[in-house]
Amino acid sequence: MSSACFALSFAEPGPAWLGLSAMTPPAENSPASDEAAEHAALVRRLQQGDRDALARLYDLLAKPLYSLALRITGDATEAQDIVHDTFLQLWRKSGDFDSSRGSVFSWTATFVRNRAIDRIRSRRRRQELLAGQTGLDPAAASANSADTLWLREKAAAVRAALATLAPEQKSALELAYFDGLTQQEIAERLNEPLGTIKARIRRGLLKLRDSLPGHL
Amino acid sequence: MISERHEELAALRALDLLDGAERAAFEAELADRADLRALAGQLRDSTAALALAAPAAEPPPSLRARVLAAAARETTVSSTPVVIRGPWLPRFGWGLAAVFALGSAWLATENLSLRRETENLRLERALADMSRQMAELRLKERSLVAEAAIADLGNRLRRQEDLSRLKINALASLAGNSPEARAIAVWDPDRETGLLSVEKLPALAADQDYQLWVIDPAYKDPVNGGVFTVADDGRAVLTFRPDQPVKTVAKFAVSRERKGGVPKAEGPIVLLSQ
Repeated sequence: MSSACFALSFAEPGPAWLGLSAMTPPAENSPASDEAAEHAALVRRLQQGDRDALARLYDLLAKPLYSLALRITGDATEAQDIVHDTFLQLWRKSGDFDSSRGSVFSWTATFVRNRAIDRIRSRRRRQELLAGQTGLDPAAASANSADTLWLREKAAAVRAALATLAPEQKSALELAYFDGLTQQEIAERLNEPLGTIKARIRRGLLKLRDSLPGHL
Repeated sequence: MISERHEELAALRALDLLDGAERAAFEAELADRADLRALAGQLRDSTAALALAAPAAEPPPSLRARVLAAAARETTVSSTPVVIRGPWLPRFGWGLAAVFALGSAWLATENLSLRRETENLRLERALADMSRQMAELRLKERSLVAEAAIADLGNRLRRQEDLSRLKINALASLAGNSPEARAIAVWDPDRETGLLSVEKLPALAADQDYQLWVIDPAYKDPVNGGVFTVADDGRAVLTFRPDQPVKTVAKFAVSRERKGGVPKAEGPIVLLSQ
């Protein structure tokens, strides 16, 4: 896996559902397009040194990014550090962002995931990986505001799409995405042949693509 | 046409599960095929969506403040130019020059002092090296002396061991015409060799030889030890090895035989060990 950095590739076109990609225009006036456009506009303001834009971006993206970091690391302190670093990188390197190659959320989520996985791999190397997840606060998900509504809707759509997968496919995808395991490690963890794992990942990801809505 | 293999590679790539060689090969294929690139992009987006499947968690309010404060600090540092204000320079110019001059003088003194100190340290180190080398030489010399002493002691011990191993037999005359004849036989049982030294043994006729016999109880007859003649003064030294293996020497005997010796003693015994 590539190490965490902001030099990410968004060369491939893809659907613009959930505002995750800007290569293929989403349905006109869809919330996804509104969100993606707002994020991109805020990043452009960062390039002018606009700290208010950073605060607004934080308000929009911090929660899903923190949730992702916490899901991967299982450690609230590490998750905070990663989110802190991510927004500082966004502040410093906003000039590197190219809206034609991907959304701000994809950009930052990939950065968070890479950072988080680097940390858990480093932790595994020290054989200090703690089992299980900690620090999740289900009550936190109940917060409701205009800023979090779009996020809750998108998250619900992704979870619904994931629910259509066979459990073994979902498990293989989650071990790869959230736990940062290699193919071989997933095969060992699930006690299955490597070929079976590859096939599960292929079928699972294709089904996920087909199950995700084109736009919200 | 996109094969299952391509779908698998695109899915693994989306999750960053391809290793270097596999990834490079697939990237090369992507560069040539628009349909593959489209698939790879779709799967990449689907993978990115997984981020939203993480259980929702609220970052602590303090994190927002930390982020904004850190960004503000970076802004302040990067946006505050370093300006030297003109009017200050003339006013304090001479003062600054004096400070620099004093500072330079102090540094020069320190430099000289440090150099001296370095030179002293270098000399001390050289002396220490010489002392160490001399000590090593002395140690080596003592070691050589000790080695020689040990070798000498070893040789002496070996000689003593050799001597202790040897059997020495005195042979006395049995012949009435040579009562003063004497002989010493030294026998090395390990090597089964010996040395016979005789004195005052009468000279023989030209067709005769003295013959040494080794008497071993293991054999019915004495074992031939070789023939010899004596000089005019009756002396002879013979190193011998018996014709047959000899484990135990009971006696040595010397007889007078025909020239060249005989396989079995025939002539008179002139010397016999006691």
